[in-house]
Parts: sequence; structure tokens; C-alpha cells
Amino acid sequence: MKKIFYVAFLFTITLFGQNDAVFKEANSAYTEGKYELAIQKYEEIIENGEASAALYYNLGNAHYKLNNIAPSIYYYEKALQLKPGDEDVINNIQFARNMTIDDIPVIEQSGLQKTINRVISVFGYNTWAWLAIAASILFLVLFLLYYFSLQPFWKRLYFGVSIAMLLLAIVSLSFAYSQQNIQFNNKYAIVFSEEAAVRSEPSLRVNAAFELHEGTKAKLLEDYQGWVKIQLADGTQGWISEKDLKKL
Amino acid sequence: MRLKLILVSFFICFANLLQAQVRFEAKVSKNKLGINERLRVDFEMNQDGDDFQPPTFSGFTVVGGPNQAVSNSWINGKRTYSKTYSYFLQPTERGAQSIGQAEITIEGSVYKTSPVAVMVTAAVDKPTDGDNSELIASENLHLVAEISNANPYLNEAITVVYKLYVSPRISVSNWRELDSPKYSDFWSQNIDIRQLRIENGKYEGEDYRYVILRKTILYPQKTGTLDIEPLTLSINVDVPSERRDIFGSRIFRTISKTVAAGNRSIEVKPLPTSGKPANFSGAVGKFEFEVTTDKVELNASESLSAKVEVKGNGNLKLFELPKLTAPSSLEMYEPERKENVSTNLKGMQGSISENYTMVATQKGKYPIPALSFSYFDPATESYKSINSEEILINVEKGPIVASGSNTSAGKTAITSGDQFRYIKLNADLQPLQKKVFFRSWMFWSLLLLPALVIPLAIAFGKKREALAGDIKGNKSRKADKLARKYLSKAKNNLGDQASFYVALEKAMHNYLKAKLHIQTSEMSKERIQEILLKKGVDQVTIAEFLSILKSCEFARYTPASTLTMEQDYSKSVEVISTLDKQL
Repeated sequence: MKKIFYVAFLFTITLFGQNDAVFKEANSAYTEGKYELAIQKYEEIIENGEASAALYYNLGNAHYKLNNIAPSIYYYEKALQLKPGDEDVINNIQFARNMTIDDIPVIEQSGLQKTINRVISVFGYNTWAWLAIAASILFLVLFLLYYFSLQPFWKRLYFGVSIAMLLLAIVSLSFAYSQQNIQFNNKYAIVFSEEAAVRSEPSLRVNAAFELHEGTKAKLLEDYQGWVKIQLADGTQGWISEKDLKKL
Repeated sequence: MRLKLILVSFFICFANLLQAQVRFEAKVSKNKLGINERLRVDFEMNQDGDDFQPPTFSGFTVVGGPNQAVSNSWINGKRTYSKTYSYFLQPTERGAQSIGQAEITIEGSVYKTSPVAVMVTAAVDKPTDGDNSELIASENLHLVAEISNANPYLNEAITVVYKLYVSPRISVSNWRELDSPKYSDFWSQNIDIRQLRIENGKYEGEDYRYVILRKTILYPQKTGTLDIEPLTLSINVDVPSERRDIFGSRIFRTISKTVAAGNRSIEVKPLPTSGKPANFSGAVGKFEFEVTTDKVELNASESLSAKVEVKGNGNLKLFELPKLTAPSSLEMYEPERKENVSTNLKGMQGSISENYTMVATQKGKYPIPALSFSYFDPATESYKSINSEEILINVEKGPIVASGSNTSAGKTAITSGDQFRYIKLNADLQPLQKKVFFRSWMFWSLLLLPALVIPLAIAFGKKREALAGDIKGNKSRKADKLARKYLSKAKNNLGDQASFYVALEKAMHNYLKAKLHIQTSEMSKERIQEILLKKGVDQVTIAEFLSILKSCEFARYTPASTLTMEQDYSKSVEVISTLDKQL
């Protein structure tokens, strides 16, 4: 007991420095098939206050190996929040989703909207922000080059590229905004209860309209006295007890 | 009639036989009769006596008798003796009558019977005169419905057994059903009886033969008082008649008799509401529950079947099996229901199952959630729930796709896109509570940097251009600067005559070297003058330049004051700058 305490104490002291080592330990535990130990270690890192898309992804994998449907989807979604376009995560979350009971058809977006959304989700909003800054600085440099160069050929070239950079900056900025909107305004949750009743009113007196099962993702709309109004991918809405969900 | 039964056996008297208890009794055939009916009274003794004196039979007239019957039998060395005097009486008035005491003397003592009370009522419709064959038939033929449990729970099995009791005195030759009961409010099933078996039993204390005609199993579907309709049979009964054939045996008469089992009602209890599980679907009895799959590992596009099965004893056909749920990514088809139920007196027994066929289309793991089945056990009067185990289906190989249309070698390739991928090894950890860079001050200032820098740069550029426009001033500033650069060393040595003039001369030479690209060896005054002239420098400036060089040479040999040195210095500055402008 004391030992454990000391170990815990040491971890808190060395915190961030140790986290990479813990991550490696967890990875080797995963490789050896000790998934529970791996989960424990990965979670330790989160408790220490650090996380990454890779960490969440690995946690999702370990939970998937243990057939914990809801946690695995939960962590994959977490990973996707940090790194929206990660191929590994998108691949493996499909496996986890295959384990879920509910089949909620996703309303197809129009072609253009879909393309835009895909482009937006290539980077997180911070990356888009940096990209906007890089583009704006490039614009600055190129514009000045244009302004001070004398040969008409270079002048034209610099001008064209600088305007392109300006446009890139504006587009990146707007993408950053929409990406942030997606993450700040669209709060999601994963159903953790094996079976959860969705009602038309936030009250137990009302009969269940339908039931959701473990692992289903729902968008949160409103909160009211321990009840949450959710919207599913197909547009259906209803109230569900907060205890049945875990917010992303 | 009884006389027929009298057996006359040897009558041997053993004087020294143990003295048995003397019994002398009066027995009536019925205690209650209509005024138009008859009554028979027997006075029975178990030892022979003399001087029998019947009672007066007030209120009755004797229509038959006395008949005397004696029976004497030896069974295993034990003697049974009985002597009976029988009278047939017809009541003469209604009301409570009494048959008085009879007397007999047995071995010197007088024994008396107890008086028997008889109730005489008004005339009955059908006088049971004892010889009426209808009456005999109805008295000796009974159809009884036996109900196993008159107070069952809803959906608890009860059995109704119809038994036909036939007294040994009559015989039944044929029967058919007139009206079979409709068990509305029940789920019913008849149990087939292949062969009627005659058994011996008692009906109201008397020996009878009986056959079980029909067994029905009933599951009440409603609570409250429910009626079970009677079963009505038409039976051909052979009844002995008064007539005898020439051999002295009775001739039997066949009559058709309709018998009905009485209307029975049962009280059905509702199932208790306390502790009723949410998923209770009406199963009552005792069951086992199981969910099984034929395999747990398979390849994609193969099918597997899952079976939900309830085994046991109870209302098997009368409830719904819990529905299997499976991940939506498994294709699941409508279940096929199989019933393997036999019905006997205990109710329905066997199993019902639903078989689900599922097809896996993708590699992965598919959990089939646990199911729960609840039933009510009437034996313990409680609800019970059985939970099945969760089953994990493992689909090993992904869909196999043919490599191409011309599969010459029949090669197949497994698409690599549907592998479960390994963990990431690069942690790339970042603090959880990291600052959001986007929309921070840093972000905005960096983003709007160009907006600030561009006007500044443009303004700067403008100024520079303006300066570039002032060419003359510009050039002179440049020349001054140049001159100062060359003369800096000379200026440092101002005051020390020798070194000052050496430095000054050197500066002049250096300047020319830099400006006119001439070698030190060519540095003669004539040459300098020639080159400067060629470059278009006016005579005055050249002369001044040369004079400075000349004074440098002089200064080597003649001492000069500090004032002269300063004059020479400023002069050389002037010369260099004018020279520079002209070059």
C-alpha cells in the first residue's frame, strides 16, 4: 500500500516527464495483450493532465479489445476531436461502431457541404489558425516584394501569389472558425448504459419513445434537471437521463 | 331383489362357539321420501333369534314382506351370520314419521332396535319406486368433472378430468357426446385417450367402476370467476328389469340416458403485481432459458444461427419469447419459431425456440447482448428471472474480393482497408488544459501583423523614394561621407605633423585608387592631372587636389603649424567632395 502511495507520489512529482515513459509502458502492455493494464496506464497519463489524439486512440483500441463498446467509441471520438481526419481512428472506430446495436442513418449532406466539411476536418482549429498566420505573413512578404520590385514580371508574379496568400489566410481563418464552432457548439455524448430510454418529455412519467443502446453518439441540445435533450444523426430528438450518457 | 343375493349355506351349530356380540339393527333405504314413493326397511341381526316382533309401522302401510333372508358364511374359519327381515312400506301421511322398535329374543334375552326417523315429503315427480329403470339408471350412473385446482393463477394450468362412474349393477354399452364444452376464456387442449380403461373406485362411499372419458388442460386467460360448461353425454345403459328369463336370471333392458357433468366454476387469481419484472411477458410455470449460437467464430459473408430457447413446463405457447438484439451491422433475419411441446396432465411440456439467422458482412467483433426472461412460478408464488450470457461473435476474415475479372490462378486478395489497426506509438502528448491559441491576443496580433507592417513599409518606401529624388544633395552627402571615411585616419593624427601628412597623402592616393582605378605606381602629379582632366574634372579642383598633394610633400621637409594642418585637412575634405561630385 505504502509502495503504491510512493509510486503515485513519485508520478505526481515527475508528472509530465514520466508520461512518455508511462505511454511506452502502456504500449508494451497492449502489445502483450494486457489490455486492462494498458488502459490503467493510459488513464494515468490523462490524470496527470496530458493527452493526445494518439493516447485516446490507443485507449479506444484497448477498450475495443476488451469489448467495451461505449468506452472504445468514446475515446475514438475524443481522438477525432483532437485530430479530425486521422485515418487510423476513422478505420478503427468503424470496427467499434459495428459492435453497436443501434443503426441510425446519417442524413446525407449535399456534395458541396460534404467536401467543405471534409476539408475543414483535415486540421484542428489551432492548426487552421497557424495556417492563417503563415499565409498572412507570406502575404506580407510577397506584397512588399511586389511593392518594391521594379521588373514588371516579378511585380506581377509577386502580386498574384500575395493575393492568393491573402485568400488562403481568409479561408483558413473561416475554417478555423467553423471548426471551433463544430467543437464548441456541437457537444456530443456517447450512450454508456446498455439500454437507455429516450422520452418525449424530461420526466419518468412519460413512456419511452424509443430506446438507445450502448455506444450510440448523440448531439446534446439542452440540459434540464438531470435530463438532457439529445438529437440523433437522423434528426430524431428526445430527452434522456444524464446518467445514461458520457459527454465528450 | 336382495333375496336374489341370499346365499343359503350349511347351517351347523357349534354350541361351544365363542359368544359374539349380539347386533340387532333397523336400516331404511332412505330417510327422506315423497309420499308417492316407497321405503324399504331391514331388520338385521347377527345371531339367530326367535319370536321376531315387527313394529306397528304407524303412518305406513306394508306393501311387501316380511321377507326373510339368512346368510351364513365361513371365511378363514370365522363365521359370519346374518338374518334379515325386510318390509316394503308406503307412507300414508306427510311429515316426520318414525318406524318403531322391533323385538327379538336371542338366547333368552330380548333385543330391540332403535326407532328410525323418516321424513315424508310431498309427492315427487318421478316416483322412485325402486323398479323404475330410468331411476335405476340415474342413480347408478354419474358423470363427474374433476378440476385439479379450483383457484388457479392466471395462465396456470388446470386439468379437467371427466369420469363416468358406473355402478356394478348396471352396464353401459355405448356412449356419445351430445354437447362438448366450449372453454371460452381458456386456452384449452384435450389430451387424447387412446383406450378407455375401466378402473374401480368409490363414488360417495360406494363401490363403482369408472372410466376416464376425457382429459382437458386449461389455461385461464381471464381473472375472476370463470364457468366451465358441462359435458353432456348420451349413454345406452343396460338396466336389470323385473322380468326374468326361463333360467331365472334377470332380463336387462337398454335405455338411453343423458347425463351431464355439473356446471363448475373456478376462481382465477390475478398474478401478483408486486415484484413483477418489467420484461414479464406472461409466462407461468417453471422454465429454463438459454441463448445459444452455433458458432462464435466465422468468416465474413458466412451465416450463423442464434437460438433463443425456453424449456420447461407451463403455458409455453402462450407467451412471447424475448427478442434478440444484435449489432445493426450484422444482417439479421426474421426468426423461425419452433415448438416442441407435448401436453399431458401436468400441462404443456417441452420447448419453444426462435432461430435467428445472421450474416456477418464485415470483419470485427459483434456482441450479442444478454437477454432476460421472466416467468411466474405458481409453486413458489414468485417471479423469477433468468439472464442469458452475452455472446461475442468474432468475424475473423474480412470480405474476400476477387483480384480481377481474369482470375487466371484463382487468386484472391484480402482488401487491406478493413484491418483493425495497431496502436500509435508516438505519444505527442500535450497538456489537457492547454491554452486555445486560436482567437488569443497572440493570434490576432500575428494575423494582423501585415495590416500594420504594410502601411509602415509603404511609408518607409515613400520616404526613401523622396530622398532618392534629391540627387544633388544625395551625392554630396555621399561624397562627404566618402571623404570622411578616407580622411578618418588623417584626422586621428591631427597635431602630429609627420604622421598626419603621411596619412593625408595616403588617403588621397587611396581615394584616387578607389575612384579612378589606378595603381600606386602611376601616382605622379602629371598622370593624375591627365586622368582627372579626361574624366571631366574642372581645372580649379584639379589644381587644389594637386596643391594638397604638394603641401603633403612639403610638409615632410618643413615644419607646419597645427593651424596649417587643420586648413589642409578641411581643404582636402572639400576637394574630395567636389571631386566626387564631378566624377
